[in-house]
Amino acid sequence: MIHPAVIRKYRIAVGLLIALILVTVVAGMGMGYSKLSYGRLIPTLLGHGTFKEEFVLYSVRLPRIVITLLSGMALAVSGSILQGITRNDLADPGIVGINSGAGVAIAVFFLFLPLDPGTFVYLLPAVAFAGAFVTAGLIYAFSASRHSGLQPVKLVLTGVGFSMALSGVMIVLISSAERSKVDFISRWLAGNIWGTDWPFIWAIVPWLAILIPFTLYKANRLNLLGLSEPTAVGVGVAIRSERIVLLVVAVALAAAAVSVTGGIAFIGLMAPHIAKAIVGPRHQLSVPVALLIGGWFLLLADTIGRQVVDPDGIPAGVMVALIGAPYFMYLLLKRS
Amino acid sequence: MVRLYTEDLNIGYGDRSIVKDLSVVIPDRQVTAIIGSNGCGKSTLLKAVTRIIPHQSGAIMLDGMSIAKENTKLLAKKMAILPQTPESASGLTVGELVSYGRYPYQKGMGRLTPKDIEVIDWALEATGTIAFKHRSVDALSGGQRQRVWIAMALAQETEIIFLDEPTTYLDMAHQLEVLELLKKLNTEQGRTIVMVLHDLNQAARFADYIIALKDGEIVKAGTNEEVIRRDVLKQVFNIDAEIGRDPRTDKPMCITYNLIKGESVEHEKGHSAADLGATRTERMQQQQQQSAG
Repeated sequence: MIHPAVIRKYRIAVGLLIALILVTVVAGMGMGYSKLSYGRLIPTLLGHGTFKEEFVLYSVRLPRIVITLLSGMALAVSGSILQGITRNDLADPGIVGINSGAGVAIAVFFLFLPLDPGTFVYLLPAVAFAGAFVTAGLIYAFSASRHSGLQPVKLVLTGVGFSMALSGVMIVLISSAERSKVDFISRWLAGNIWGTDWPFIWAIVPWLAILIPFTLYKANRLNLLGLSEPTAVGVGVAIRSERIVLLVVAVALAAAAVSVTGGIAFIGLMAPHIAKAIVGPRHQLSVPVALLIGGWFLLLADTIGRQVVDPDGIPAGVMVALIGAPYFMYLLLKRS
Repeated sequence: MVRLYTEDLNIGYGDRSIVKDLSVVIPDRQVTAIIGSNGCGKSTLLKAVTRIIPHQSGAIMLDGMSIAKENTKLLAKKMAILPQTPESASGLTVGELVSYGRYPYQKGMGRLTPKDIEVIDWALEATGTIAFKHRSVDALSGGQRQRVWIAMALAQETEIIFLDEPTTYLDMAHQLEVLELLKKLNTEQGRTIVMVLHDLNQAARFADYIIALKDGEIVKAGTNEEVIRRDVLKQVFNIDAEIGRDPRTDKPMCITYNLIKGESVEHEKGHSAADLGATRTERMQQQQQQSAG
């Protein structure tokens, strides 16, 4: 029932995006503070590099590239799910309090627990993840009723309310804190990819490896949840339980991403949206395309951001927002 | 054989009771129309029977099982619903939308099997929409779109099809087209059709069985000869109707009618004019909340 032209578009989009990702990965491997010329990339990859070259490639650049790519993908899939179950094109992981919840948890943890900075770096993702989950759980509790289950419109409104309230909490928290600590937290909030080490990658890979295929498996339910409720019920979708399961998946994916990248908005909004514009609203096609767009986009933002200002660069979250905010405005204008 | 019936069914929102102790049998392999004035509970009844909203007490039985306990996907193989004015199909093509009707038969990722494609094509053919297969649903006219939604319900291959005011927003020719399609599905394939209709004469012409509701209770359920009668219509709609015969189909029809004058009716009218707007909005909000689950 799918027009061959749509399938062709899908194949072209997937091919093109994979090519773009590869180009960006290769470009990113050769860019950065330490010099690693493109001519030395292949020998280094084959194990013939100097110690310094290998260190730069394997311990600095590659982890960052991998984590950025994976996080972008997770955010895009999370956004696809949230836009599907809320039937709202403007939904993104931020609306279920992922960013603000993780941010507050990081701030509280960082400011009030006197721990040795060396070891607790590895605890931060867990803290952010927990913060995101608790917030999403609270938002869910406030927007679902025992009688009729999860209500999409209420979910969006409660989520926005929570985000604002938690931002207020953040300001109160950091206004009384020491300067050095505030620096870290504000960089985290700006979406500065910081979990750039292999342990962080191993920590988020399992989530993605399970939840992304699971989302694709649920693609036909997502399609139906996007229609009116009577229609979805009529063809036999158990909307109550499907919504909850998908919401949990979306929160877990976004929380995994945010826990290592800091607060990054707009990827979850834009990637699904562009994907739907290319291959149409069926999630079997739009989710894979969104995933590639999200991964590539965050990688590109970070690769550029790293280069523009020495020595630390512009946080990826800021770069994404620079492109994302105008896109958001465009969406709003188009809708009205 | 009776497959579908309700027993002492109560439906309401909060403390507001909409349908009260309703027991009715839906005749198998016939066209049933539910009629009644605005706010009488006819749509609510349809929604409860199709499990879109929950009922408070009583039972809705299909094939000897309470639908509240039955697996929802299994039910979707037995009954399909065309909700009132389904909203936009968000950029889907006709073929894609109709393919969604195959959901109850799908496993895993929802890849379409050759059998699925055969059924979808048949549904498009039967509703005369195969020519639009690759067009966007949003680009179709009201009548075409309604037929596409019917095709989606047909793709479910159910023996029972429910429709909530399937002719609303259509012009006269398209109304007839939709009703004739439904009648054809009934006579040629023996499907049970249950629909809420606003137009009395359409109900009289196309239905074998009519259920007339007032304030959530059955005034009369029976053949069109039994229901389209002066005394029944007086009770259901507060109208004084002149009943004749359709010269072409020989079915009973309401030729003309007047509102019944009198104190009690004036009171009724005042009540409905002032109250109905508010209660309808309120009810719609509650319905949204209800069906959100």
